[in-house]
Amino acid sequence: MKLELFNRIVAMQANRRDFMRGAAALAAGTALGSSMAGRALAQDNLRAQLLAIPGVNKGSPTDADWQKVGELCLGPTKANVAEGEFAGVELTFFGINNQGLHNILFRGMLKGWEAYTGAKINWIDLAQADYNPRLQQSIATGTVDFDILAMGAPLEGDTAGKGLLDEMPDWVKTQIDMDDYVGYLKAPVGTWDGKTYRISIDGDCHTMSYRKDYFTDPAITAATGMTEPPSTWAQVQAFTKAIKGQKDPLTGGEAYGFLDPLKYGWGGFGFYFLGDRAAAYAKHPDDSAWLFDPETMKPRVNNPGWVQAIQDVLDLVGTDGAYPPDQLNADPNSTAFSQFLAGTGSMVCWWGDVGSNAKTSDSSIVGDVTGFSINPGADKVYNSKTAAWETPATPNFAPNMAYLGWGIYVTNRVSSDEKKRKAAWSAAAHLGGKDLSLWMAAYPSGFQPYRNSHFNYEEYEAAGYDRAFLEDYLGSNADSYNHPNAALEPRIPGIFQYYSIAEDELMKGVAGQYGSAQEIADAIAADWEKITDQIGRDSQIKLYQASLGD
Amino acid sequence: MATAELPNYGAVSRRRKDWGRALIAAATVLFLATALLQALNSSGLVPLGLRDWRPTLYAYLVWAVALGIGQVMIRGEAGLRALFILPAALFTVAMAIFPTLFGLSIAFTDWNLSSLTGQKFNGFDNLVQLFRDPFYWNAMRNMVIYVLFVLVEYAIAFALALLLNAEIRARKFWRVTFLIPLMLSPVAVSWMIGKSMLEYRYGPAARLARWLGVNNPSFFTDPWVARLWIEAMDAWVSIPFVMILLLAGLQALPREIIEAAKVDGASPWQRFWQIVFPLMLPVSITAIVLRIIFKLKLADIIINVTSGGPGGATDSVSSFIYREYRDRSNVGYGTMLAMFYLVVIVVFITTLLNLLSKRMRRMT
Repeated sequence: MKLELFNRIVAMQANRRDFMRGAAALAAGTALGSSMAGRALAQDNLRAQLLAIPGVNKGSPTDADWQKVGELCLGPTKANVAEGEFAGVELTFFGINNQGLHNILFRGMLKGWEAYTGAKINWIDLAQADYNPRLQQSIATGTVDFDILAMGAPLEGDTAGKGLLDEMPDWVKTQIDMDDYVGYLKAPVGTWDGKTYRISIDGDCHTMSYRKDYFTDPAITAATGMTEPPSTWAQVQAFTKAIKGQKDPLTGGEAYGFLDPLKYGWGGFGFYFLGDRAAAYAKHPDDSAWLFDPETMKPRVNNPGWVQAIQDVLDLVGTDGAYPPDQLNADPNSTAFSQFLAGTGSMVCWWGDVGSNAKTSDSSIVGDVTGFSINPGADKVYNSKTAAWETPATPNFAPNMAYLGWGIYVTNRVSSDEKKRKAAWSAAAHLGGKDLSLWMAAYPSGFQPYRNSHFNYEEYEAAGYDRAFLEDYLGSNADSYNHPNAALEPRIPGIFQYYSIAEDELMKGVAGQYGSAQEIADAIAADWEKITDQIGRDSQIKLYQASLGD
Repeated sequence: MATAELPNYGAVSRRRKDWGRALIAAATVLFLATALLQALNSSGLVPLGLRDWRPTLYAYLVWAVALGIGQVMIRGEAGLRALFILPAALFTVAMAIFPTLFGLSIAFTDWNLSSLTGQKFNGFDNLVQLFRDPFYWNAMRNMVIYVLFVLVEYAIAFALALLLNAEIRARKFWRVTFLIPLMLSPVAVSWMIGKSMLEYRYGPAARLARWLGVNNPSFFTDPWVARLWIEAMDAWVSIPFVMILLLAGLQALPREIIEAAKVDGASPWQRFWQIVFPLMLPVSITAIVLRIIFKLKLADIIINVTSGGPGGATDSVSSFIYREYRDRSNVGYGTMLAMFYLVVIVVFITTLLNLLSKRMRRMT
């Protein structure tokens, strides 16, 4: 009954006042008998209300929307913090400002929290590529100048491993309902030596976004012979080569297949995009490791599986017209936002925000023709333990859980000041709150679903998403999270140094500076060996094994 | 003259000299002891709970003040005169010489910011690695190309300077107009031109190229084309600097010589090539050398537009060092690269100046 009412309200694009009037009428009319039911209704009201801000196809959310969402989600904060309790407290928040989101979004969402608690937040905003260097420098030079830190789990080795974080108080665990996290984000992710440090605000995995209209367009299907999206990298390769000379059904421009970010250099984050290809070839179901040998830290990046992935890229680089002409200068931001969402290319592997942006971003023109799947698989998989290729009965799929999601952490700068500590954790818990997270999963925020409660399709449907799109988009995320052969990365110190130097070698490789894919891979492996020796092989082995749960 | 009006500090008593020496010695001991204790604290040998190096900085300031007072006490009037230069000298020591020496000490360490063990002395390993690093030498080769382009920039700047020195309409307007690129930040130029105007799909340059019949105009995909565009953007920002130096030189030329040549029937080309150009050589050499020094530091445009790509084709030494530091937190090796580059620059510029100086002497 109430859901239908909310659906109707959302469908009518009711404003907030109308909505509240409707909700009040509903509450009065139904005269609920128990307080439990009342709370549940209020909760549902809130979630539906949140998802109507601003509403699908209403343009990109603005700062006013973020503030509104933040204010509506202050309930849990008010339950734990008295009004004005943190007056005089100043906190510094360290994070990125990618796509005008992340820290920029947090500012708006924390405005109401600041007004209620009396605390003030100062911001350190960084471009994505500057994030890791700035963090590493702060750690190494003992100049950690921030109290709250937005960070990915791979960097827990660099921070928690060095004792720089504050342990999460128990009241925070209750406030944010940690049991609702999807399985792979539960401990050991977010923990170190048995202590919990992380409030998850994101669940990362790469999925493949593709243009459905490319597989129904008569000319393209005739040229490629494909009416279904590719499910293996071999099919991706074939499609990308065969589509040359066709026209994009939506824009009328040149049609292209898969979009690799050939300008891999992206502060280490660009390496994930080779990982998308390599995981299918190199992540064996019987082996949790795929980047290094856990016993020796010997890189696997030059084994035949990884070399095949690099070779696939080189094959497309060597095929005239397979990529858009300036692809050597396309970084991952370009492939997703300047190319795919703007109507160039038909397939891209990226984090989930391609999905949430497809429907809700002003710059997207592909919302109605985008489909989603888990990353493509491979017809063969390399087994590092036997040093041989295997050909499974069905393709080997290994979704790349790239970056393991952003989380909010509190540094030990606040540990000695209980008021400041509580303020920092309260701000972090506000951003990691269950209801607020639903909005972040549904709208452009830089974050994707990470809670079991994020997969209630009905809630999104009420906001205006169409059911088929929802099941497709959210389903690809859920399938990746729950995949038995998901490729997880190690939470070891310096992991982004490994990635970063690999990006440099890859960029040189695709520009023809190496003789073969094997040479590129060998160069990366040699660089990785040097980094391991620099950081300390024994400690890296120990931490890598710990992160694998071995 | 002025010295006669100064108080006479010439006669300094032995006692005052001794007090002066004692003051300097005490401040020196304080400074060295503080630095030593800090070093011991920093290495963990003597934990004193000091969180930063400020005590040493304060001890240095005390030492600097004591040195100044001591100079006056010991040397009288000569010491007073020394006070005019001493603060600047000590500031230079603190802000240039000390950081250079400190950097040199880092250059001989294995220091990865993620390493749990911190800095480790590794002798000449970084230097050996540098000589074996093909990417560093690739950047060096690119620098040779970029530096050679300075001659082209000089030629364009000279032509513009001649134009702006001629009797043309709205000369002041054109002088200001041609100076505007110099006032722009290279980062702004990188984004406005490199990232926007030259964007291959929507950029106006790409649209124009398509209209002219180029199928898929891409400005940063081919190594040589990319290099040329980076050079063009850098030149656009920097040519006005060379031009303004040359224009100042042209305006200072003795006009009677040029007028005399004109009366003698010399053609405009003869007047330029045989009179103006030789007379402008000292200014030209200054402008070129300054421009080369600026060119050797080229990084911002490359970092913003191509990140050194495609495949290192546009990488400069500075942009390469930036990546080594920023992306890989490889502080020891990155510092060695920078130090080595500093030596290369000093040797190159010194040799260049010596050669030019000899040549100039032969010509005059």
